[in-house]
Amino acid sequence: MNLKMNSRAANETTCFLEIEGEVDVYTSPELKQHLVKLAEGGVKRVIINLSKVQYLDSTGLGVLIGGLKRLREGEGNLVLVGPGMRILRIFEITGLDKIFDIYPTEEEAAAKEGVDL
Amino acid sequence: MSATQPPAPQSDTIELAIPCRPEFVGIARLAVLGIASRMPFSYDEVEDVRLAVGEACSHAVERAGGASAVIRITSVIDPGALMITVADDVPAGAASGPRSEEAQLLEEVGVDQQGLGALLMEILVDDVKIEAGPAGTTVRLTKYAPE
Repeated sequence: MNLKMNSRAANETTCFLEIEGEVDVYTSPELKQHLVKLAEGGVKRVIINLSKVQYLDSTGLGVLIGGLKRLREGEGNLVLVGPGMRILRIFEITGLDKIFDIYPTEEEAAAKEGVDL
Repeated sequence: MSATQPPAPQSDTIELAIPCRPEFVGIARLAVLGIASRMPFSYDEVEDVRLAVGEACSHAVERAGGASAVIRITSVIDPGALMITVADDVPAGAASGPRSEEAQLLEEVGVDQQGLGALLMEILVDDVKIEAGPAGTTVRLTKYAPE
């Protein structure tokens, strides 16, 4: 029932963040902290890999939307990669798939976001 | 337990009480996963019930805002439907502290987080009834068994 987060820099202002586990009312504050720390460290663009996320609820969605808004205000972005069918469905039924850029792979996300790997 | 008794359609009830705090919501979800698996639901339907109960519990935890409270989850397994009641003893309209920065940000982009949770519940199960009163809030979730 824990959340593991692993981030690695793609370049000075872009970061890959892999999340593994469950994002819920208990763990989403950790995700928020992590995103805030990245933004404070000068990261403008975060590419979040959701392929190992098994559970995501409205509090997790809230943190992702908050992060998206902050980063876009700084002319950056928060994009999502590889959500499983269940997780993708949550974005679809809430209409949030129209707000987030969602890509199948990190490579595709990087290419679309103009990041050199 | 007479062998001659006709097999009446029976419903079974499972009760669980958890502290109304973030770290316990996962326990409720695990229990519900097992309970929903007793129904002739597909994998997706079981997951839908799990998420709906998770949303009801998260909502209670957020309203409690750290105050001591209890969530009681009562599941009735009926041949035709699974009915789960998520009841907390957090008084409606209780001061849950200042609104989170997250909630404010969401509002700016036109998303109400509690609304998001309620929307998910509405879509994930067949029937949702929410009663909020001075003694607490009760969310009744019903998911019908496939024909």
